[in-house]
Amino acid sequence: MDQTATSLTRRDVLKLGGAALAATTLGIGPLAPQPAAAQTPKRGGTFRLRSHVAPVHFDPHQTIAFSTMIPLSLAYSRLVKVKAGSAVVPGTQPIEGDLAESWERHGDNVYVFKLKKGVRWHNRAPVNGRELTAEDVRYSYDRFLTIKGNPNKTILGMVDKVEAPDKYTVKFTLSEPNAWFIDRLASTSTWVVAKECVDQHGDLKKPESVVGTGPWMFKGYEPNVRMSFVRNPNYFVPGLPYADGVEIILSQDPAAGFAAFLAGEFDFGPEYGMVIRRSDLDIAQSRVKGLGMRDYIVVFGGITAMKIDQEPFKDVRVRRAFAMSQNWQEALETNAWSQGKGAPNPLIPAALKEWSIPIGQLPQEGRRLYEFDPAGARKLLAEAGQAGVKVPIETTPGYGPDWMDAVQVALRNWKQAGIEGDLKLKEYGAFVSTALFGKFDKMILTLRGATTDPDTYFIPFLPGEPLNASGVNDPKLTEMIKIQRRTFDDKKRREIVYDIQRYASQQVYYGYGPSVSAVGAWMPYVRNFGPNIGHDYGGRLMVAWLDK
Amino acid sequence: MKRYVFRRLLVAIPSLLIASLIVFSLPRLLPGDVVQLMLEEKAYGKDLDDLRAKLGLNRPIYVQYFEWLGQVVRGELGESLWTRRPVLEELTRRLPVSLELGVLALFFSLIIAIPIGILAAVRQDTLADYITRSMAILGLSVPGFWIATLAILLPAIWWGWSPPIQFTALSVSPRAHVAQFLLPAFILGIASAAAIMRLTRGTLLEVLRQDYVRTAWAKGLRERMVVLKHSLKNALIPVITVLGIQVAQILGGTVIFESIFGLPGMGRFLFDAINQRDYPVIQGVNLLIVTVVVVMNLVVDAFYAFLDPRIRY
Repeated sequence: MDQTATSLTRRDVLKLGGAALAATTLGIGPLAPQPAAAQTPKRGGTFRLRSHVAPVHFDPHQTIAFSTMIPLSLAYSRLVKVKAGSAVVPGTQPIEGDLAESWERHGDNVYVFKLKKGVRWHNRAPVNGRELTAEDVRYSYDRFLTIKGNPNKTILGMVDKVEAPDKYTVKFTLSEPNAWFIDRLASTSTWVVAKECVDQHGDLKKPESVVGTGPWMFKGYEPNVRMSFVRNPNYFVPGLPYADGVEIILSQDPAAGFAAFLAGEFDFGPEYGMVIRRSDLDIAQSRVKGLGMRDYIVVFGGITAMKIDQEPFKDVRVRRAFAMSQNWQEALETNAWSQGKGAPNPLIPAALKEWSIPIGQLPQEGRRLYEFDPAGARKLLAEAGQAGVKVPIETTPGYGPDWMDAVQVALRNWKQAGIEGDLKLKEYGAFVSTALFGKFDKMILTLRGATTDPDTYFIPFLPGEPLNASGVNDPKLTEMIKIQRRTFDDKKRREIVYDIQRYASQQVYYGYGPSVSAVGAWMPYVRNFGPNIGHDYGGRLMVAWLDK
Repeated sequence: MKRYVFRRLLVAIPSLLIASLIVFSLPRLLPGDVVQLMLEEKAYGKDLDDLRAKLGLNRPIYVQYFEWLGQVVRGELGESLWTRRPVLEELTRRLPVSLELGVLALFFSLIIAIPIGILAAVRQDTLADYITRSMAILGLSVPGFWIATLAILLPAIWWGWSPPIQFTALSVSPRAHVAQFLLPAFILGIASAAAIMRLTRGTLLEVLRQDYVRTAWAKGLRERMVVLKHSLKNALIPVITVLGIQVAQILGGTVIFESIFGLPGMGRFLFDAINQRDYPVIQGVNLLIVTVVVVMNLVVDAFYAFLDPRIRY
């Protein structure tokens, strides 16, 4: 599992709010991947991608912005990474070594990594191609954990100390057992950076400070125009990458991005995740013969937080009524990205298919939440003495028009159950800096899906966490979350994770909207490319090639 | 004239000072906290305080204002809170792009509006007049971003062609550089052209009914001479006034057009900065816009004297 600490901006989230049908994500649907095994890789060419957002800066330890992490995934490496290629099923995140040759766990709290030998930094000043050592790794993680204002710090919050006992060995000691540690190291925010760059520039915010050990080297950045990368001739995986360069074009307007894609100016779908809107699919297929496509469920989806220590949400019957009067299928049908295709989300987003419990395996109360039953909801509200309840609902139009369409659907659904939603729109900046931290009146509608590590979806249930917007304080749930973190056996941990989702579906501390099914798209001449969740464009492009 | 310009310049100083206060205060009145935005939803209390102190945002607002004002007087506009890049450096790079777009849009606007406005006035109540007036109403009614979206999407769907969305610098290819501005400038100029065309028509009709114009006709002057030499100069005075306002509108329009056509100008810079609450950038860009508008109004006033020799200051 990859834990992606960087997040899409909230605005982006809904734009991607969907989930692929299970059949197609398993590669048996109409948009199944092309086989690549029998093809001979070709060297050369430049991948051309679109990003609609410019990077805020280039310091991975100072932001969670996806717009920063995507370009950095081309130039940096980390200890472990998520496998890439057309054979990898989207939503699964098998881990393999990146800088690490191997790793072992000693007891519950100690991990020892053996580094690959002969890994060299990019041949750029001030590092000038010297060999990477364990001290570089130690320095990077130390900076990650100690630098002021690293919003990603919680990803490795369990790390007590990092040591470099010899040139090729790194030892992590955790303060408490955490079975997700390796997954978290695969996050696209834990890049190994060079001390010389930090010393020279003060931080890593400037583009010239991007000197890594990754497959491509930073060539140049024209603000709001493009970022260019050239192949690293000394990359430590022999033969990789295949492409000589990568160019990320910064183009803000979605219509202009799609037009440029049709005109062949981009090699991949123009939206985040290299996808195209399903509503654009017919046009794209008619214009680009042999277009490569694959459905996959994105992580993003709506979430409803409620003040559960206040009326009317003190009563679980009210919370259930709110959830069961939401029609997730209608939300998907009205979305241009999904056009009806997607999946309902339990606590762990359906996109994380190895850990998300199938809705059918929830207890009866949990399953009922997904059956759209306004009459049943009315009955529950009446039993709770809240018939015709009126609730202020806060959200932001900053997530874009697709989000506001979904909000309208939600309000209409609630009205059918006799719930009167009093919509209060907040400006995006104000919303993310207040409501997400629990500073709201009764209820908010927002988005989640910034991370691809299942464990992070438990954080809003833990007392004292800033993101515990609903104010959950349930000792039983807290204990279950802690136990799963201490359970190293995947099968047993999955059972506990499933149990947590079952229990949470009965308590309804949060409500979850569905996720859309996005369509990853690429030009017919792109080979061995497989879209996946997360921001690791570099990993996916490294194994792909251009067959022109 | 020189004294007038000098007096106007003196008046501009308090105007700019007041504007600087507004420009400084308004972004801070926006709901939302730049520090929390920078740390997004993963921020914790101590981190927020530390970062706020690091950025100097924990000091009283008047201290921050006077420090910024001092920088402005020294010709500095501070650094972006997000990228730590000097605002002035960013503006120096982006201003030419916006100016190029704005000037070209103004150019298109004038070459469309003035001839058509003259034609509509001279051929009042003919088919040509009705058509041009209808087109002007259409130009005013249809949003520019909608026309721009269609102009980009339809050729891509029909022919697999789209206008360039990658910015090309003048030094890389002068031809491609100018070409990338033509379509956005033309569309941006349309709405402005519609307003100017209607005004040109209206004021020219008024002038054409003046006694001195009747005298010109009576002298047997040719139509071209009467309209272009004797009437148009006077008719253009209100048009020039409106043109000053149009400059501000065109500058505002560049925000959307720069986003659609991928032009790295000032408008897009401002748009991103507002979303990120990047105060120094918002202040710098707005101060520049205010300065441009003040200067444009000064130029417009001075231009009156050229158009009408009777006007003296």
